[in-house]
Amino acid sequence: MVELENSSPMTLSTASGEATASSLGNQIQDTQLAGGGPLKKKRNLPGMPDPDAEVIALSPKTLLATNRFVCEICNKGFQRDQNLQLHRRGHNLPWKLRQRTSKEIRKRVYVCPEPSCVHHNPARALGDLTGIKKHFCRKHGEKKWKCERCSKKYAVQSDWKAHMKTCGTREYKCDCGTIFSRRDSFITHRAFCDALAEESARTQTLAVVNTEGNANTNGNGGTMVGGGATAAATSPPPQPLTPSTTSVVSPGLSIQSSEIPENPMGLSPATPAAASTSTSNANVFATMFAPNPQPSKISAPSSFLQATTPLERTSLSLSSPLYLSNNGSSIFTGPENDHCHYAPTPQPAMSATALLQKAAQMGATASNPLLLRGLGLAVSSTPAGQDANVKSENNIATASLALGIPSNGSSGLTNPMIGSSSLFGNKPTTLDLLGLGMADGGSSSSGLSALLTSFGGGFNVGAATATSFGAGGSNSPRETWDGAPEGKPNGPALL
Amino acid sequence: MKTEVRGNGASISIQNPSLFNTPQDSITGALKGCLGSLDGACIEKLLLHCASALENNDVTLAQQVMWVLNNVASSVGDTNQRLTSWFLRALISRASRVCPTAMNFNGGSMIQRRLMTVTELAGYVDLIPWHRYGFCVSNSAIFKAVEGCTKVHILDFSITHCMQWPTLIDALAKRPDGPPSLRITVLSCRPQVPPLLNVSKEEVGHRLANFAKFRDVPFEFHVKDDPRLSNESLAVQFESLLTQLTRSELDLREDEALVINCQNWLRYLSDETKGNSAHGFSLRDAFLDIIKGLNPRITVVVDEDSDLSAPSLSSRITTCFNYLWIPFDALDTFLPKDSSQRLEYESDIGHKIENIISFEGFQRIERLESGAKLSQRMENAGFFSLAFCEETINEVKSLLDEHASGWGMKREEDMLVLTWKGHNSVFATAWASTKLED
Repeated sequence: MVELENSSPMTLSTASGEATASSLGNQIQDTQLAGGGPLKKKRNLPGMPDPDAEVIALSPKTLLATNRFVCEICNKGFQRDQNLQLHRRGHNLPWKLRQRTSKEIRKRVYVCPEPSCVHHNPARALGDLTGIKKHFCRKHGEKKWKCERCSKKYAVQSDWKAHMKTCGTREYKCDCGTIFSRRDSFITHRAFCDALAEESARTQTLAVVNTEGNANTNGNGGTMVGGGATAAATSPPPQPLTPSTTSVVSPGLSIQSSEIPENPMGLSPATPAAASTSTSNANVFATMFAPNPQPSKISAPSSFLQATTPLERTSLSLSSPLYLSNNGSSIFTGPENDHCHYAPTPQPAMSATALLQKAAQMGATASNPLLLRGLGLAVSSTPAGQDANVKSENNIATASLALGIPSNGSSGLTNPMIGSSSLFGNKPTTLDLLGLGMADGGSSSSGLSALLTSFGGGFNVGAATATSFGAGGSNSPRETWDGAPEGKPNGPALL
Repeated sequence: MKTEVRGNGASISIQNPSLFNTPQDSITGALKGCLGSLDGACIEKLLLHCASALENNDVTLAQQVMWVLNNVASSVGDTNQRLTSWFLRALISRASRVCPTAMNFNGGSMIQRRLMTVTELAGYVDLIPWHRYGFCVSNSAIFKAVEGCTKVHILDFSITHCMQWPTLIDALAKRPDGPPSLRITVLSCRPQVPPLLNVSKEEVGHRLANFAKFRDVPFEFHVKDDPRLSNESLAVQFESLLTQLTRSELDLREDEALVINCQNWLRYLSDETKGNSAHGFSLRDAFLDIIKGLNPRITVVVDEDSDLSAPSLSSRITTCFNYLWIPFDALDTFLPKDSSQRLEYESDIGHKIENIISFEGFQRIERLESGAKLSQRMENAGFFSLAFCEETINEVKSLLDEHASGWGMKREEDMLVLTWKGHNSVFATAWASTKLED
């Protein structure tokens, strides 16, 4: 029987004594062959967790609850019923421990109730109750615990305690000035740092002969000589970024960033900043999928594509910051109970239904072959002004996939993402993504209509045909994978 | 007849609805349950539908699904949004190959390539334990395997530009009986995948040698080159690789302990079996066969624990989507949404996603196989699996303690696997080429 090392993933670095169940859906199932044959392990592939596992989604309230089981005599709270029962013995109260009922213990995995969370998907469920509770608190709870030394914030007190044990206890400093909290990253950095190269260059020039017995040999052209630092770095000392020196998670941003003013839920005061800037689209990227804070703006529709208002807030001005700043927000300190406040992630403005309806209405015009004109990764002639950079890109792909944006009033979802020139560019207009600016709402593909039909109710789909653009097999000749030339730092815009 | 459809407060009237029977009934069923918010499962379905639309040449449907996905995607959003943005980009990249257009599309990657300095790369590999885990386990196993040896030669097949070695050099320097002489040989050819450096391999070796000298470890660094092939494609270079892996070509010396280090590398060796080979040998198998023939003291193989080389695009999308969320999620744990380090790291993963999803044939160089499959392959090649000792386990545990909670480790037979919230991320294995005498 091969031993399985299951170090608990969630409590590895915490001091809490909670034992966790074995790890989760993506499990090894240990089956022993009766005939004494070789032990066969059936491994589940990632993404396909144990099909027999019971998937459980607990409510936020349950996940955040601590000490739900309370003794009626002394009001002491316990996390588990078993513990309460054992405690009740001390009061000479009748107690009863629940037995493990079934012979066959059905594996349980837990999903996060938060729909936008990665762990909402059963394929990424977590295998133990403590894990999902901690996850929920960490991810969707408020970070009340702050490390004074490095400003990292934690939602779970035990995480904070664990961090406090190691923070600042060990520090490694490189000659270039960078500080590391971990030795291996320090060593690795040090080995390649210019500071060392320069130092050895200095000693090199001082050394009379470079032929110590244990020195490195001057072999053929491929051999490197240690200490020959004359070819030392010509680049200026870089700004090393290490995890220990990067900016910390800002409070409130750990939660779905589109906090709306009417839902404070005890969040950190960064929220008011969010509120004031939400209309000026501070978090435009993150809020693409975020709620419409003003549903009342949607007036009675006159055209089918009226849904401009949910996305109005996303029109940017170049001057607005792209993300919240978290300076000056007061921090919750002091020991309180571990109880996390939950701020539910607001529902996205566009339900899947609504999005798909719109997609159907845009439909496709068979006469428009420029599909990928619209699917471009570059923003084109929008007046933002950054496109000069984009168009002069060497990267043909991006330049040639530039978007043409007709000024069509009915193209409801104009979404000119005019961000600053970050490495990751801008979001093009969504509607004209498809090059369909002039299309009316008439035609739609059969596929999408079928899709919409599944939501109950028919739609006017017109004479839809699954148009294909005759792609056939005659593709343009492919270049090799590594043929793409270097582009400028103003990288290709993304979607 | 008038139907009203309500979507989130908006009321839309539609005239003359009619039900449409379509041949694509599978699409209708699959999207049930996506009402309301678009969660990860729904996004996955949309990706799959987009992919199948492309495979059926239904460009119209593909467009429409892409439009929906585009509303979800955001490279600076939450984890799901970020993942979606890279997957969508990959699908678009694929679509642009499917549909002939008037554009001059050169067929290369759409993703910006970024060059790092060596110190930036040093920080990069330590951002999350993804790489460091493999380094730690491998170095620990290597250290143990070369105990008592005075000369060590490492053949380094990896894509992380020797970031692994400073800590090993450091450990060897502190050996009670003194450090061995250390030689490291790397190949000149390397897949054009991130992370990319702005300096040459020679420069990297230069600095490494510098460090070794600083630590008083006798050190040599070689770049195995074949100048005839410098302008050839990677595939051709890899093919000729086999001819370069001989004792004489590598200058293997009798008194050296030979160590083979494969880090995130075997996946780039083609697994296509040669048509005329009776034994069904692929380049990958041939490589392992040659390596074994060199009789190394230890061979360590580290790679990502997922099967991402299935012929079926849908299968790859599903597996990829349900695997690569892990580094995205890990980064999300401690880096803010606007962190440039995070964005760069994610972009590199996006590069991988693009190759897996958008390319086919010889251009699809990412042919990852899981630890279980790789182990089987190694056994078939005649290697014997080595267990990792307690010291190694403890070193890894200390490493993981220093990172965010959520990282864990588990043993699967002799394999050690890094886990994130229990999900397998990176596997590490060690192999002997001969059965050890007891």
